[in-house]
Amino acid sequence: MSEPVVDIRSLHVRFGEVEAVAGIDVQAYAGQATALLGRNGAGKSTTMRVLAGLIPPTAGTVVVDGLDMRKDTLAIKRISGYCPDVGGLIPRATPWEHLQLSARLRRLEDWEDRARDLLERFELGDVAHRITGGFSHGMGRRLSVVLASLHQPKLLLLDEPFDGVDPIGVDATMDVVADARARGACILISTHLRELAIQACTDVLVLRGGSRVASVESAEMAGEEGARAYRALLD
Amino acid sequence: MPTGLSSTSTATAASPRLGPVTSARRAVADVGHLARFRAGTVRRRAAVPWTIAIMVGLTLAACTLPMTFPGARTSTRAAEVLVLTPTAFAGFLLLAIISAVASGGGRELISREQAVAFPVSPTTDHLGALLLAPLNIAWLLQAWTLLGTMAYGLPVHLVPAAALSVLLWLAACTALAQIVAWTMEAIRRQPHGIGMVRAITGVFALAGLALQLSGRLGEMLDHVPTVWIVARSTIGFEWRWAEGVAVELVILVAAVVIGAVPAHLAARRMPRDEARVESGQFSARRLPGSVFAMLVRTDRSSVWRSVPMRRGIAVLAVGPGLVAIAGDLDWPMMTILPGLVASGGALLFGVNAWCLDGRGLLWRENLPARPGQVFGARAYVLAEFLVAASLATILLASLRAGVPTSYELSALVCLLLVVTVQVVGAALRWSAQRPFPVDMRSARATPAPPIVMVGYSTRLAVSTTLTGLVFSGLAHIPEWRVSVLAAVPFLIWSTWRLSRTAGVWLDPVERSRVVMAVAA
Repeated sequence: MSEPVVDIRSLHVRFGEVEAVAGIDVQAYAGQATALLGRNGAGKSTTMRVLAGLIPPTAGTVVVDGLDMRKDTLAIKRISGYCPDVGGLIPRATPWEHLQLSARLRRLEDWEDRARDLLERFELGDVAHRITGGFSHGMGRRLSVVLASLHQPKLLLLDEPFDGVDPIGVDATMDVVADARARGACILISTHLRELAIQACTDVLVLRGGSRVASVESAEMAGEEGARAYRALLD
Repeated sequence: MPTGLSSTSTATAASPRLGPVTSARRAVADVGHLARFRAGTVRRRAAVPWTIAIMVGLTLAACTLPMTFPGARTSTRAAEVLVLTPTAFAGFLLLAIISAVASGGGRELISREQAVAFPVSPTTDHLGALLLAPLNIAWLLQAWTLLGTMAYGLPVHLVPAAALSVLLWLAACTALAQIVAWTMEAIRRQPHGIGMVRAITGVFALAGLALQLSGRLGEMLDHVPTVWIVARSTIGFEWRWAEGVAVELVILVAAVVIGAVPAHLAARRMPRDEARVESGQFSARRLPGSVFAMLVRTDRSSVWRSVPMRRGIAVLAVGPGLVAIAGDLDWPMMTILPGLVASGGALLFGVNAWCLDGRGLLWRENLPARPGQVFGARAYVLAEFLVAASLATILLASLRAGVPTSYELSALVCLLLVVTVQVVGAALRWSAQRPFPVDMRSARATPAPPIVMVGYSTRLAVSTTLTGLVFSGLAHIPEWRVSVLAAVPFLIWSTWRLSRTAGVWLDPVERSRVVMAVAA
């Protein structure tokens, strides 16, 4: 197998007395979509935030596409796209202004057509020039996925992208994941929705109490049998 | 923020509707619950008793220290100060009204976002706003000034009675201001309400201007109804004093009760100012030429599209300017204005500057922008905001002050530069030290909890006033270079502190702490 795009070894993240991530190892590869499953507080979002360059690791190594997170944070941000688990939108900026900010900071050329296409696919074309403060939760989630995928990143990080999203938004997100896989991107999706995770991803990592407790192919988590296995891993 | 039954709520055997007396009782009790909840969220609890002790100490000092000042009670100046007291009483009422109207009905005991899950009635909201009104440096400074005026001008044995009367007047004015604020908010929330409020404000401003231009302002101030109150406040514990106090008490109680009516009216209507911003279309603009320009544009939009910031800066820019015109401030005295306006401007968002992005900061932090550039853009936008407001104030004030000399102008320009860097530095330092997750959508929102805001505003007021006094003195020296030379050490010191704060923002651990706190 080729070199992993994401190579996390013995990652620890502490917030004061709380250890949010306690020695996770994750390897994720180009062209694959990996789901992070687990209960609330399992460390999924914290791991995603570390990969997005928001939280520096307390201990352990995080390498993305051969770049060390501690030394090359800015370079990793250039090749990654991140949909945060909560909000993720500037309240008094419009979707188009969000896209402009991303395009300018990433030095994108001829991005407008793709941006318009993404907005249309996620049914946000009509509100492209309204500020996001008045958006519903689902609209905000959909726009966050658009923003994460605009620049066709090598690493696509989607934290709870299906949360509160209608079926059309779910389908559009599935398409974004499929497109990203087809062009060889590495995708990590953190979610509570097991069935959607299995549908979107090739592999599943189950986290519990800040540690990895299982790493399986998504097919093994499917159906009634998979649901029972998943339940057993959570307890 | 009040909430009501949803359309899916079913009627139960015991109706949730309460009688007016029970509702009022429950509202008072709920204020207690919410105040305790709010107090429970204070992070540095050890500081609370100290803060209360300092406030009580300052109030006692305002009531007693002026008695020991040279000329107290006996001088012509003491008599003049007493003569101006009715105007000061009326001025307090006017400023309380402006403050309450600008903040859309006063501060929230619990934010709209937090309150949405609880049955908080408009009466509770009204009482909470009244409770929080004194936690404002402008309110406190005026209160201490009025108390100090009595202590300075009156014989010692008359001061306790006068102080009691002043305290009651302050409370009555705050409650009266709340009625006006809720009424204006109720008007603003009806169709064409925003235009109506602007028209009402314009009529009052024009009336004030007409009085000033016709030279009848002084005559009117000599006959303000507060003369009646002051005449009874300053005679000691006599029957006529009791009569004045009784009237103040009646005004206070009536205003508190009546204020609940427009509060309910406003709560039933959609906040149009906020809704207009959130549902309006903002046409696309061309991509700026540089990353820094893009960052500045994003931050600038976040500031100027925010209802509380827009209203706040309008009041700050225009209010002191009008006072300066009315008071016929000369150029050296004008040096007090930039510090006042800059401090007020920073309190609108600068003291928690990263709250502009809200939870969007999580996404922004994943963008490949150099942290120094992000910090620089935020500092630039804050400085621009403060300078714009200060310049508007100075422009207004200059209308009556005539043409300045070169040294007066130099002192004012240097002061503007110094206080801007000073205030930006302090605000961004506090933003990094104590970030708060604040939703600045509501016109009533503040960037930090009220008690924290009092601390910030006190520190800003002290530092900028002292700086203003230095440059006020320099404005009398007939050599413009003196102010420039004096500004250099101020600027070096403030710039050094600002660069240290930038260093904190460059640290990824510190930055992640701020981001997580703001996006919580």
